[in-house]
Amino acid sequence: MAGFLGGYSAGNYNFGIMVVWILWWVMLMFVLVPGFARAWCMVCPFPIFSDWFQRRRLFGVRQGKPEGLGLKWPKPLKNMWIMNIGFLVTTFFSGFFTVKPFSTFVLLGGIILLAFLIGLIFEKRSFCLYVCPVSGFQGLYSQFAASEIRRMKPELCQQHKLKTCYLGNESGYGCPWMLMPFDFKKNTYCGMCLECFKSCPYDNMGFFLRPPGVDLLTDTPREPRRLDEAYKAFIMLGIAMVFFLSMQGPWGVLKEMVRGANLKGWLAFISLHTFFTLLVIPGVFFIFVYLSKLFSGNKVVSLKKVFIDFSYTLVPLGLGVWIAFSFGIILPNGSYLLHILSDPFAWGWNIFGTANFPWTPVFTGILGYLQGVTLLIFYLFSLEYGFRLSKQIYPDLNQARRGWIPILVFLTLVTIFFLWLYLG
Amino acid sequence: MRKKELIAVILVIFSTLGTIFGIFALENYRKKKFYTIELIARAPEHGNWYPRKITVPLGKEVKILIRNIETVTHGFAIPDLGVAVPEIKAGEVRVVKFTPDKKGTFPFMCTVWCSEHHLNMRGELIVE
Repeated sequence: MAGFLGGYSAGNYNFGIMVVWILWWVMLMFVLVPGFARAWCMVCPFPIFSDWFQRRRLFGVRQGKPEGLGLKWPKPLKNMWIMNIGFLVTTFFSGFFTVKPFSTFVLLGGIILLAFLIGLIFEKRSFCLYVCPVSGFQGLYSQFAASEIRRMKPELCQQHKLKTCYLGNESGYGCPWMLMPFDFKKNTYCGMCLECFKSCPYDNMGFFLRPPGVDLLTDTPREPRRLDEAYKAFIMLGIAMVFFLSMQGPWGVLKEMVRGANLKGWLAFISLHTFFTLLVIPGVFFIFVYLSKLFSGNKVVSLKKVFIDFSYTLVPLGLGVWIAFSFGIILPNGSYLLHILSDPFAWGWNIFGTANFPWTPVFTGILGYLQGVTLLIFYLFSLEYGFRLSKQIYPDLNQARRGWIPILVFLTLVTIFFLWLYLG
Repeated sequence: MRKKELIAVILVIFSTLGTIFGIFALENYRKKKFYTIELIARAPEHGNWYPRKITVPLGKEVKILIRNIETVTHGFAIPDLGVAVPEIKAGEVRVVKFTPDKKGTFPFMCTVWCSEHHLNMRGELIVE
């Protein structure tokens, strides 16, 4: 309704725009992902029609074959590449989504429709696992989350031959995310739907607090570090840079290009954005990775492994960059929320008496410092995990120390660059 | 179980459609009860005032609900009747109240330079 009605050309007074891009996005980056991993996926409405169709149930558990074709997702696409490209392409239209309510309606409506169509053809939550543009970065940054869902006592799972958490039973569906809840070690692909809590007859699943980022050190044959996840880290970093430059920076020319004031400018924006995100950032990182291998003196470990493994150092830093960016969204614009809550359709309502609350930026005088401090905290996490990763990559401690130096320099340069953006 | 499921489906449909229809019904009632007319403000190249002609009765209080649905600021004035809203920001809704005390056709216009065609952003208020 907000997409069609009220203030449909003025994003700041539109319920859809404000709730999605100000409230939801900031909650996601501030609280949900760093605190509770993929908790958003637990309540996400996008796949509801798909789930409903497959299960033909809103309540309880329907036994037997789910509705729909139930095909397996193609093996070559069982990764984050579609989500990587999908999210990057979505950002091409960021100048429209955040301003034009109707385009936000099209985006969200399109995602719900796509989720439904994929649910008709493919099994379970294939859409969430392999397509949803929101899913990929949540998965990646959930590795840094301060909580997790895991099985409690491994010996109980070993004794339990019928893996009901995976297969399902009368109490709960088999894991819709196609994980093996009895033995997974990373948050990346756990949608926190809690079906395993229901289907486990021993009540052996638990929700735990943990030190942020422990997943970054996990690299098992079943859950290896992967190039598609590495690229997700590069893409998120690149998008954060481009977004900051175009949305929160002082460069009007860039703003004009992003919002599509003319076609040439917009095409130049998407070309530069793609080139920068997909080639420049990974390319520069590759140079530092090459130096890392050179400095380490190790000739056994493959360059690809060094590249992929070290890319996970960008997870804490990337999340920090996005939290800092979110400060730049909520502090100047948060007061609009009071207006739209009282007058969601710009019809002149005043439900809570706050419809005439004026635009009131909060702490914008110290915004740059808040962003800077946030970034530095997450930079320290990146350093902490980076050296541990180095010790995993290079078997010898001296090699690990020498090999760590170029990556440390890279992370520091990126941090200095962002600090310059925030404070310069 | 099937009964419970059926109730759930009905509730989902009812709450979805009911919310939409309920909101529209409430808004219709509110507009009719509290306002004489709703006036949409848009720059001329985006549709201009809508409606461009408003007819109101003589001697009765008029309440015009003005909605600026654009990304630029507009203003509103009926100089002949001494009515003016200096600024209606992008997305804002303002209410203008006045009682026309003379018959005739009076121009109303935007008073903020909103576009190249700003001077054409005009309409007519007819008092009968």
